[in-house]
Amino acid sequence: MAEMKFAKSHEWVRPEAGGLATVGISKYAVEALTDLVFMQLPPVGRKVKAGESLGEIESVKAVSDIYAPISGEIVEVNAALPGQLDTLGADPYGAGWIVRIRPDNPAEMAGLMDQAAYDATVKS
Amino acid sequence: MTAGVLPVWWDDAADGPTNMAADELLAEEAERCGGLVIRLYAWSEPTVSLGAFQPIAEAESSTAIAGLPIVRRPSGGGALVHGTDLTYAAAVPKSHPWGGSPQALYDAMHGAMVAVLGMLGFDARLHVPSTDDPPADALLCFARRSPGDVVVRRPGRPAGPLDPKVMGSAQRRLGTTVLQHGSLLVATCPTVTDAARHDGLAELAGQPPEWTAESLADRWTALVAEPLGIAREFQSGAFSATRGPDIASRAGRFRDRRWTARR
Repeated sequence: MAEMKFAKSHEWVRPEAGGLATVGISKYAVEALTDLVFMQLPPVGRKVKAGESLGEIESVKAVSDIYAPISGEIVEVNAALPGQLDTLGADPYGAGWIVRIRPDNPAEMAGLMDQAAYDATVKS
Repeated sequence: MTAGVLPVWWDDAADGPTNMAADELLAEEAERCGGLVIRLYAWSEPTVSLGAFQPIAEAESSTAIAGLPIVRRPSGGGALVHGTDLTYAAAVPKSHPWGGSPQALYDAMHGAMVAVLGMLGFDARLHVPSTDDPPADALLCFARRSPGDVVVRRPGRPAGPLDPKVMGSAQRRLGTTVLQHGSLLVATCPTVTDAARHDGLAELAGQPPEWTAESLADRWTALVAEPLGIAREFQSGAFSATRGPDIASRAGRFRDRRWTARR
């Protein structure tokens, strides 16, 4: 399986077969938000730039933007997720995926952190 | 201005869209200062501020708040009826000790308020969740209970899980900063029907209060700064005055029905 990369804003991205990339939010981010109550996904077909908000997630206390870790077109969303927000906590890197993106420039991923570097930032 | 002080602005009354736009800019100010910043403000008329994801239909069909203008906040949480409350916005960079998790900033602001209310004779505490809590999805913030909300024991009654909530807050977690909105209910709001009325500090004091919203905010912001080892510094002008044109241009988004009725 291709290496997962992380953005400072706690999203992860994983290259998939066919040139697509799957995006979600890290276990750390899910645990920090606690008690998720609502999620808004972007429409399929929307173009996003790296660092741009692609959706929002609300917990009991806070609304957080979900930022695109890479630029590209959203080709698929996990439509079941807003109705099953527990999945984000139970399996954030698997069934808790949020969108699939067709990257504009796959080389953008090189600017993101690997798991070890990300773990170091959330522990510091 | 540096992160060595806690800048606090006290702004004049403004309408909802202007206040929301100013708060978005406050978050940018936190990034620029590299530390906590606070804006205290009032409303030009009684106004309902709706949480970022609350359904507009629920607010517009509520007879309890009928006729009041509605503005949607970027932050989460339940609807607030502003007019007799002390409203604040606080912002910190996510790298700040209080920016990492939602509860940290919430507890810092609310913990300081519990201490101030204690000095004024209230038996105040941070709410601990219980099975008696009202529904978490109630329309109005003061009808909800979240961990860390400020609640006050009614005079002459034992403390209990249904003690009135007098302060609640909610956040918008942006890319590099956190914006927290909060409200301290100074007195019950007379412009809404009984269903939307909640006792404020004036009603819970049990005697004519010797404090004002201003004196309370003075003590509160000083106590907020204390654990950070910095001094609270009231700013000479209103935040809205220093960023007037930017606020005016951003307020348009909050006036737009597409934002207010986004859900």
